[in-house]
Amino acid sequence: MKYVRVWVQLVHCAFSSYASNRIDAGSYFLGKLIRFGFFWLFFISLFHYTDSFAGYTKWETLLFFVTFNLVDVLGQALFRGIYLFRNDIRKGNFDCILVKPLNSLFYILSRLTDILDILFLAPLGVALWYVVIHLPPLPAASFFLYALFLFVGLVIVLGIHILSAALTIWSMESEGMIWFYRDATAIGRFPPEIFSKPIQFVFTFCLPIIVMVAFPVKMMLGALPLFWAMMGCIIALVFLIGALVSWRVSVRRYSSASS
Amino acid sequence: MSLSEQVTYRFGFFFARLRGLFVLVTLFFVWSAVSMKTGFFAGYSREELMTYVFGAHILRSLVFGSQSRRIASEIHDGTFSLFLVRPVNHFLFYYARELSERLLLGFFAVLEVGIIVVFFDSTFLFPSHLSVFFFVFLSVFLSHMLYYCMSYGMSMLAFWSREAMGPRFLFEWILEFLSGAFFPVSIVATNVALVFLFFALPFIYLVFMPLTIYLERVPGNQLFLSFVWQGMWIAIVAGLLRALWRRGLRAYTGEGI
Repeated sequence: MKYVRVWVQLVHCAFSSYASNRIDAGSYFLGKLIRFGFFWLFFISLFHYTDSFAGYTKWETLLFFVTFNLVDVLGQALFRGIYLFRNDIRKGNFDCILVKPLNSLFYILSRLTDILDILFLAPLGVALWYVVIHLPPLPAASFFLYALFLFVGLVIVLGIHILSAALTIWSMESEGMIWFYRDATAIGRFPPEIFSKPIQFVFTFCLPIIVMVAFPVKMMLGALPLFWAMMGCIIALVFLIGALVSWRVSVRRYSSASS
Repeated sequence: MSLSEQVTYRFGFFFARLRGLFVLVTLFFVWSAVSMKTGFFAGYSREELMTYVFGAHILRSLVFGSQSRRIASEIHDGTFSLFLVRPVNHFLFYYARELSERLLLGFFAVLEVGIIVVFFDSTFLFPSHLSVFFFVFLSVFLSHMLYYCMSYGMSMLAFWSREAMGPRFLFEWILEFLSGAFFPVSIVATNVALVFLFFALPFIYLVFMPLTIYLERVPGNQLFLSFVWQGMWIAIVAGLLRALWRRGLRAYTGEGI
């Protein structure tokens, strides 16, 4: 309950910050909408010239795109605080975080909830509904499995953010890591079958972006065998545990830059 | 100065190049997938599509810059005042920084394209006439100047508002798509409204037009017209810039220094 209260207070602070910079907030939100709209237009235009993309129909391809956006936006909304961590290390503010009666990792990740991304979930939800109604009728279990694997994807996103935080303690230049992740997840916009087998392997087992985005879609479409579904859950769990271990090791080795 | 700044943080520089490489590899596979069946897509051959993707990667490095972003924070924290007392033209100073960064990143972009072409055994087309290289060079130079003027102009918003980064984010995303940096805009512009949106604005002259010239898809009479339009847009943006600069200096208070 303490952490829920703290998170709610942090959300209030984040909201105040965005509300006091209305032009910036409005421009960022519009930019996100335009980016989404242009990619949507791109996919629609692709299907003017072809009937299928890597074996998927227009609406199935759009489902990959919308799911990628869902996972990406949820991750950014909840864990945006990581982008400030580099400055905390550089200025020694992390020392002040460590002495708080609060889990330092929780504070670092959740201190900046991106209200704009939370608002963006509304048009994303509409887009998801619009795509789903154009798919062939799906059993109710598909939606449950889709939601379950979205959660699995979020676990991986959490792991990546924790790993980035751990790396930041070791190297001041690791800000590139989180932006590297942001660009690497761009592959999630498209069905994984378009990539070569080695790339699919890397993004399934090393940086499990395909598990994050493609697995929920394939579960909904009934295209993922049970073995791979369980494998996806194991990969997410192993990835998260590995990230948490690296965080613990990093914090133990942390030496302040002076606060 | 800009060159040494770029390579000081080598790890960060490496990650930044790796990010660009990811986008390039993703687009390579996307266009390979759509053109795999027939070897053609939307009027482009597979080789043309691949060349477009690789060319766009190089042009993004040569045309889209980031140095002028600093101007907004300099205006906000007052350090911009230092430029006003120096015998240095601010526009040209930042252009020099921008040019050095673009040349360095352009060099690495060419290397990256070479690696991808060899690694994936892909094709990079070369024009059939040497004169095309001259026209492409001219078009790229004009694109580079046009982008710099637009980017510099966006930074001028900081004279009037502390919230300059949000509009800049919006501008950059609009620019990325309308310039053809992700895909040939002719693929998307399929009705009157979209044709207007894409072709009536200056953005297509940043990436799409130079690459279309490179692929020799611009007829001779339209080639001259494209340079005229590029020059015209540079003149319009430069004129706006001049007005913004004059008004901005009057509004500038130098707070923070």
